[in-house]
Amino acid sequence: MSAVVDTHGQAHGDDHGYHPSGIMRWITTTNHKDIGTLYLWFSFTMFMIGGAMAMVIRLELFSPGLQWVNPDFFNQMTTMHGLIMVFGAIMPAFVGFANWQIPMMIGAPDMAFARLNNWSFWLLPFAASLLVISFFTPGGAPGVGWTMYAPLTVQMGVGMDLTIFAVHLLGMSSIMGSINIITTILNLRAPGMTLMRMPLFCWTWLITAYLLVAAMPVLAGAVTMTLTDRHFGTSFFNAAGGGDPVLYQHIFWFFGHPEVYIIALPAFGVISQVIPAFSRKPLFGYASMVYATSAIAILSFIVWAHHMYTVGMPVAGQLFFMYATTLIAVPTGVKVFNWVATMWRGSLSFETPMLFAVGFVFLFTLGGMTGLVLSLAAVDIQLHDTYYVVAHFHYVMAIGAVFAGYAGVYFWFPKWTGKMYDETLGKWHFWLSVVFINITFFVQHFSGLAGMPRRVPDYPLMFETWNKISSIGAFGFGIAQFLFLYIIIKAIRSGEQAPERPWEGADSLEWTHLPTPAPHHSFHTPPVLK
Amino acid sequence: MSRNLKTALVLVAIALTTFSAIIAKYWMLNG
Repeated sequence: MSAVVDTHGQAHGDDHGYHPSGIMRWITTTNHKDIGTLYLWFSFTMFMIGGAMAMVIRLELFSPGLQWVNPDFFNQMTTMHGLIMVFGAIMPAFVGFANWQIPMMIGAPDMAFARLNNWSFWLLPFAASLLVISFFTPGGAPGVGWTMYAPLTVQMGVGMDLTIFAVHLLGMSSIMGSINIITTILNLRAPGMTLMRMPLFCWTWLITAYLLVAAMPVLAGAVTMTLTDRHFGTSFFNAAGGGDPVLYQHIFWFFGHPEVYIIALPAFGVISQVIPAFSRKPLFGYASMVYATSAIAILSFIVWAHHMYTVGMPVAGQLFFMYATTLIAVPTGVKVFNWVATMWRGSLSFETPMLFAVGFVFLFTLGGMTGLVLSLAAVDIQLHDTYYVVAHFHYVMAIGAVFAGYAGVYFWFPKWTGKMYDETLGKWHFWLSVVFINITFFVQHFSGLAGMPRRVPDYPLMFETWNKISSIGAFGFGIAQFLFLYIIIKAIRSGEQAPERPWEGADSLEWTHLPTPAPHHSFHTPPVLK
Repeated sequence: MSRNLKTALVLVAIALTTFSAIIAKYWMLNG
């Protein structure tokens, strides 16, 4: 990007005579960087809590038979693991990136609605608390699966109500965050920062935010109808009262499939910043990346029923959803091609962010390929609700989104803190993660193909070997994440001073126009871009 | 009314309409 460096207003702080310190700074902050930090720490905390639940699941599945927990508690673990990871860990992590990066990348002083931004974040701890408190209610947390299918949800205890309220809060938070992001990007770009000059991370978030505004109210509607079925005598999903449980599945997945891309698109955005930086080349096919992202977002609204081929639908319906789903491989393929083409003949170096980014491209593509397999109705009917599906979506989410998150943290950590992380330990973190996560999930393809169903605490002896290997991988991956925590704390406390441009190939505004670390308030005066 | 507020109100309207419309639709279908 050709630009004139303009650092007016970067040297001084923003002095309005009110400088709360300690906990009040974080509770009352309206600064996008502070709020980004809060989001990122919150999401990592939830990642560890959801991860602990995954350890319980893998511990129970280490051997056939019931070993450690009763089946009901096992169901609660799978449910809360899914809800916490999707809504508490992955989504807030990328909102954290958005908060930190979008204003700096487009030359804005802050998010458009700073107080709303504070509220968006502070809804999250209350929602998370409701999810955790549900374990201590009569009957415990809901054991219905993260999809919260009716009619099981109508029969659950008080924990289900708390979960429904938590989902409402999480949805409100997401919608408010999205409104903020859209408004910031549309209205607060620096002069000269046209939409088609924005870093791709901003584009992916703009499209994701539209997806959220369109999809989250659908989920809110579904859980509200569940709530009224439970307490107010309606029968939306209750067959006995003239309702239809399958209706819930349609509504849920009308939200649920865009949700997959709500998670994946910001991850694509992070990767699209990291790969060019470490290839020392501009992103290959920028415009096609924007159009591919938009195409994925649009297609995500017409494929929902591929999650429910087995409920019974006309062949024409199966064919429609099958073809629409396979069509998504085209824009996704454009993206993967462009990342590889960016690396082609680049001056590559493999620092930790690039390792995670390359790991993402390889493993996300693998998850995408198994997604194509599952998109075929005839195959999916065999594999539905087996561990093949579990392997597929963990490659996309547990590996894809998490690896993109790590790539982003290592990439922008010097800009955020002014400190460098320990490169050797970072590489250890990558290699331990990539080895153990593949041990965990690759074998699940085999147990799934052999017919092992998901969401069961016990299984026939024939699945024992794959499950043992998978559990060992999960324990290893879990331990490796403590190394990440150690790397970050060590770097914050005693890391080496980061140079102004630690990655010479990174050329978006936060690297070219702002000092390192980024000042608490940036771009009081919009930068001038040619 | 500021441009930011206008943008936000349009988006809030989309979200609230979607939320109410989906419940209203199935409320009437079941009715």
